[in-house]
Amino acid sequence: MDLALSLGQLLAEAPPPKAIDFVTLLNQLLNGIGIVGILLLTGLGLAITFGVMRIINLAHGEFIMLGAYTTFLLQKNFKMDLLLTIPFAFIVTAIIGALLELTIIRRLYGRPLETLLATWGLSIVIQGVVKLIFTAQLRYVKAPPYIKGNWRLAEIGGQAIEISYYRLFIIFVALALFGITAFLLYKTTFGRQVRAVTQNRDMAKCLGVNTGLVDMATFAYGCGLAGVAGSVISSLKSVAPPMGQDYLVDAWMTVVTGGVDKLVGVLAGSFLIGQSNAVLAYLLNDPTARVIVLAAVIVLIRYRPEGLFTVQKRG
Amino acid sequence: MTQVLGRLRRQSIIPINLLITVGVILLILVLFPLLAGPFQTNFMAKLLLFGVLAVSLDLVWGFTGILSFAHGVFFTLGGYAMAYYLKLNLSASANTYGGTLPDFMVWNGLKELPWFIAPLQIFPIAMAAMVLVPAGFAYIIGWFIFRSKVSGVYITIITLAISSALTTFFVSQQAYTGGTNGITDVSKLSLFGLEIPFLGLYYIILAFTVFVMATAWWLTQSNFGLILRSIKENEKRISYLGYDVASYKIFIWTLSAGIAGIAGGLFVPLNRFISPVYLAVAFGTQVVIWVAVGGRGTLLGPFIAAILLGQVQNYADRVTQDWQLFVGVLLLVVVLFLPDGLMGLVPKKFRLSDATRLMGIVGTNPTSGFVQPRLFDWYTPLRSLVTTLTGFVSSGLRSPRPTQDEADRMLVGKPNANSVRRKL
Repeated sequence: MDLALSLGQLLAEAPPPKAIDFVTLLNQLLNGIGIVGILLLTGLGLAITFGVMRIINLAHGEFIMLGAYTTFLLQKNFKMDLLLTIPFAFIVTAIIGALLELTIIRRLYGRPLETLLATWGLSIVIQGVVKLIFTAQLRYVKAPPYIKGNWRLAEIGGQAIEISYYRLFIIFVALALFGITAFLLYKTTFGRQVRAVTQNRDMAKCLGVNTGLVDMATFAYGCGLAGVAGSVISSLKSVAPPMGQDYLVDAWMTVVTGGVDKLVGVLAGSFLIGQSNAVLAYLLNDPTARVIVLAAVIVLIRYRPEGLFTVQKRG
Repeated sequence: MTQVLGRLRRQSIIPINLLITVGVILLILVLFPLLAGPFQTNFMAKLLLFGVLAVSLDLVWGFTGILSFAHGVFFTLGGYAMAYYLKLNLSASANTYGGTLPDFMVWNGLKELPWFIAPLQIFPIAMAAMVLVPAGFAYIIGWFIFRSKVSGVYITIITLAISSALTTFFVSQQAYTGGTNGITDVSKLSLFGLEIPFLGLYYIILAFTVFVMATAWWLTQSNFGLILRSIKENEKRISYLGYDVASYKIFIWTLSAGIAGIAGGLFVPLNRFISPVYLAVAFGTQVVIWVAVGGRGTLLGPFIAAILLGQVQNYADRVTQDWQLFVGVLLLVVVLFLPDGLMGLVPKKFRLSDATRLMGIVGTNPTSGFVQPRLFDWYTPLRSLVTTLTGFVSSGLRSPRPTQDEADRMLVGKPNANSVRRKL
């Protein structure tokens, strides 16, 4: 109890009022870039499964978790470098995604609320199975040694302005995946087919598009992206069965904020949410920043359910 | 003789099976404390409250078509109101640091009770807060989201965000909410200076449960319930017919949040603590699972599902750690193969929805396809209840020959004004 009391006294001393400190703010903004990277990574897969296919995927976090576990397994058993495990994480989650699309999700197209429930059930089942295999123990993944440390950009008055290389790495991977996805979606035959199917399924079918295959491949690709996200994120925190839940709500908020009509929406959404989170966390504190950002997103959904960066359409 | 009985059974329009089912369930629940030990009774009381919570979600989801993950939030808000009251009424000797200030406030450095918590010391105010805080919060949300073009799935995502945001908020405001631990070691509930014994609490909860079930039945039987179901079926059409869909949604949403809040409030004296665990998305989805598994749009289904799943979980937890996996599989099976939930497996004659149809035929005299848009329609359910009861009595005394008109209306599948009315 004495400990609790002294802790109480410690906390009772109000923190001194903060003057806006330029260097700290700048560092915080750079920190925000790291958050943007994570949001973009985790949101990108959802931008495919929800944005393109309109599947309300609440099991998205679990695909992130599966990617993280793939990396963990490969690192533990084959001493593989984290970078090398990324393609495997993509393949493993994509295959699982494809199988689930074929067996479960396919039956529920056009029934968004049922899909939502089913994917929630899926998320519980995947978590349960992973827990059965790996137990609930926290696992740790090592970051590659050559992307450790901080990059010192400048020094002002003895204070450093720096960003960790790992955050830079995250945003680099996120942007690269974003580029690849945009290319696939807008510049290839497959992407054209995907867009055709989402715009008018029957018409696409009439024109000879194998809609079933397109659905499966698209969902698998979205899940694969989530797997990559999990693989990259795995070394930031511990790897555990419920880890996906932490990313689920944020990923959803990112996608919904940006709007799902265009892929660029997810980029804008992650930037907006990530940076406003960082700035608010600097001005106030972390939980308050999160509450404010979530409240802002709710207000946004209320007025623009189609997202900020969507052209208003009729009908 | 058997022929007569057969004829009687065929003519009987009273859901005798249903009445028996409800009666048996009620009898079991009333006698439960006598049959089971105090631990089981305590557990059962909690499950009754979870059942009520499930029914409150069912009112907005099963009947009106709004899927919400935020019902755990309303439940917990009511719970916090009660927990503050009980915590603030701890005697000074029972309080860790003496005095009136709760322990978590002391060790977070608060010197005096915050003004917004202080009124909760007073019993009537705490009781009012238990209903009004969740209901008021729900009203604000409802007013905000239902009067917009936001559609089904986005509303669900908003409720997810609300649940997530409030959890973060309650955890972070440690000095006021007790943080992750929540409010623990609360006093026992007492009324007029008398401590309520454990059994008394059980029967208060049972009475509340019966009251909620009866109210929910009443509501879904009335014209109001009819409009709710129509909103679920085809929102556009019902609004073109001139109904203000948003205000119906806001009303049922607020009412359901109030019910959830009371359930949460009664939960605290049993559970002896409340914490952000019940605010989190995981608990909110638990409620959704009860309703989905039990059967959306039935009243008994979600109620029984909450109790059964809770009981099974209690035993399964001792045997295996992987109960959640089973729940996930169950949810998947229900969504894929049993859209009506486990109630869909129950023979039709036992189902409440079927009873409503029968009672609708007897009790109402539909003359037109238009339903009076009365918000508080106390008359229709009452009339159907009275006619049913009198029908029960009269059919017990003699076997009435139905008139041709009645016989026609009893034929299932024959289009009549009532079925037209239901499809509205």
